[in-house]
Amino acid sequence: MNGTYLDWAATAKPWQDLSAESAALAVRSFGNPSSAHGPGREARESLEASRARLGLSLACPASAIVFTSGGSEADSIVMLSALLRGADRSAVVSAIEHSAVFEQAAAMERLGVRVLRVAPRPDGTLDPRAVADAVRPDTVLVSVMAVNNETGAIQDLAGIAALCREASRGRALLIHSDAVQAFGKIPFKPVALGLDAASMSAHKLGGPRGVGALWLRAPIQVLARGGGQENGLRPGTHNVAGAWAFSMAAARASDSMTEALSRARALEARLLQGAASIPGCLPLPQARAAGDGRYSPYIVPLAFPGLGAETMVRLLDDAGVFVSAGAACSAHSKERRVYDAMGTPRELSFSAVRVSFGRESSPGDVDRFLEAAASLYARYKT
Amino acid sequence: MDALYLVKIGEITLKDGNRQEFVDTLKRDVKRRLSSAGIKNSFGSRDARYYLTVPESGRAAAEHILSRVPGINGWARAEKVAKDIDAIAATAVELMRERAAAGARSFKVEARRTDKGFPLDSYGIARELGDRILAAVPGLPVNVRDPATTLYVEIREAAYLYTDGEPGVRGLPVGSTGAGLLLLSGGIDSPVAGYRMLGRGLALESLHFSAYPYTSREAWEKVRSLAEVLAGYAGGMVLHTMSFTEFQLRLKKDAPADRTTLYLRAAMMIAAAALARKRCLNSIVTGESLGQVASQTAENMRFTGSYTDLPILRPLVGTDKEDTIRTARAIGSYEISIQPYEDCCVLFSPRHPVLRACFERERADFEALGLGDELRAAVAATETVELPCPLTPPA
Repeated sequence: MNGTYLDWAATAKPWQDLSAESAALAVRSFGNPSSAHGPGREARESLEASRARLGLSLACPASAIVFTSGGSEADSIVMLSALLRGADRSAVVSAIEHSAVFEQAAAMERLGVRVLRVAPRPDGTLDPRAVADAVRPDTVLVSVMAVNNETGAIQDLAGIAALCREASRGRALLIHSDAVQAFGKIPFKPVALGLDAASMSAHKLGGPRGVGALWLRAPIQVLARGGGQENGLRPGTHNVAGAWAFSMAAARASDSMTEALSRARALEARLLQGAASIPGCLPLPQARAAGDGRYSPYIVPLAFPGLGAETMVRLLDDAGVFVSAGAACSAHSKERRVYDAMGTPRELSFSAVRVSFGRESSPGDVDRFLEAAASLYARYKT
Repeated sequence: MDALYLVKIGEITLKDGNRQEFVDTLKRDVKRRLSSAGIKNSFGSRDARYYLTVPESGRAAAEHILSRVPGINGWARAEKVAKDIDAIAATAVELMRERAAAGARSFKVEARRTDKGFPLDSYGIARELGDRILAAVPGLPVNVRDPATTLYVEIREAAYLYTDGEPGVRGLPVGSTGAGLLLLSGGIDSPVAGYRMLGRGLALESLHFSAYPYTSREAWEKVRSLAEVLAGYAGGMVLHTMSFTEFQLRLKKDAPADRTTLYLRAAMMIAAAALARKRCLNSIVTGESLGQVASQTAENMRFTGSYTDLPILRPLVGTDKEDTIRTARAIGSYEISIQPYEDCCVLFSPRHPVLRACFERERADFEALGLGDELRAAVAATETVELPCPLTPPA
């Protein structure tokens, strides 16, 4: 597909070579890793090598990694484990979580788990103290995302984990982070951050869809049972080829992280500077400036007040520039839950499009976006 | 073995001098729909009864069509057997067994004898068949006052047997009263309005005003789906789409905010009338219902209606919304209409639109805007798609 792709936070273009090699591997190492014979052993060896490779990217032992079908499943394994933690229990989540956590929390609430939702500050970040203050004696789970998928806000996970741990006063508390927009993009070392669990997804890094991973400091009780794969933590026959491609994409992301990050910072600066010269256009939050360490440079929301975000996305689409209105997976819903939680005026949030960068993004992409957005905004703003 | 249907017509039978014209229109419509589906058929009448014959393989399509052709009051699967009381009784028992299995708990027989040469008279036929059914079908007593099912027997050049039929759309055959232009939004009302007018014999083309890119492609897909629902009753549908985006932007810029909806409706009338003339259509059909929204007051209808001399047919003008929704559900448009894609009116609608247009003043103000060029451009850029008559309900 031709055009300017600036929706890498929705999904990254897959690495072509990994995609091809993964397809070949699926045929070559076709055995079921649980089988006790040659083809099974071969598949198992490939799987374990992938696990070790992914462990290197996360700076954790291979044994701490559970392969899943994606970030959402990794989230739900952790979230649902709270249901097994006794009768009176509560969970703390941020009000800006991705639906994979936010909706799962709402579902658990219907099953009797008290859910406390912590609002962010107007800049989109959470005050670690506010998260810790929500922890009660019956709290069994805290889940806070690493990087917000709509605003790019980076959460102080180390601070949150430390304060929550302190607030739990030695009681068992599982601290989880949905790190789908962080892993492979900004430094993310769950052990060092003091977390207990973290969710990752392959397709955000150029790996395949339908593959993800859950990092666990220690095994947990899980709700879904089956054939006992992944030490009983995630039943289901392994996706050997998918795990391989994921681990390879993650390794590439880790290896190139420093230079990719500085390239993303440059793109962010170019975008914000260009946006400032479009009359009426505003970054969200409005105070966001280039190089601001509170935000991932890979995600930049821009508001075009007076022009609905869906309309802008359609106009840009017709102009061959591809971005999202908010999160890709809520593109059809009218909600702006994250911005509402931040207290952003709807005039801004409903007109906000999300520009997101990836490994192939270039200054030319940014310029094409700016040029198209400026002229479309001038013409269709109401 | 062919499948035989008895087709009942209703209002057409009330026609006097031009009745045959209506009947011919209906026949043509049924035959055209079946033929376009590649189904061989014969549709003829004998003794004021209408019979449709299709090959067994065309049964499902034929039944789908019979339930959707305006002008047909109802239809029933019929059996044609030799004029022999034993043969008739055997089929009668078989039909009543099916009805009993379907849950019927009582029956009666209604017989009619056109062929006076048949040895039993109507009463004799009914009694004989009633006895034999009673003996052969357990748990199905006679109830002549309020039967759960009725077996109809007609003795003509052959014996015809049928049971309770399925309802039809009723009304008049499509095209018998000409062809009109339906203003089709994405809402609940306009498809129902279209359906009602189809039932009055008005063939339809549809016109949708699009506000792309302020509305989405999905919003247009929704309109197309609604047009497809109507195509099932109309036997196909021509859907025109006119982009009103530039026009709406102009209104937003130059017209007082509380007048935008009113002026937009007037502009729609002008554009619709222009298209109707081009397509030789005799009327404009809208889903307006008196008092439903601000633009649908008598005063505002007078204003918008003054921009065309074509009759504006508003079949829902006195209809309660709940009744409209009931019809929408029955014809299969409701679930499509409630999909959450906004149409053009919603996006630009003012918070407090003017309720009672002052006729002379609004006409002067509207004309002062000088929107002729935009309107001509919108009409000239109309896009048209032809939707075939679907043989299965939309998914």
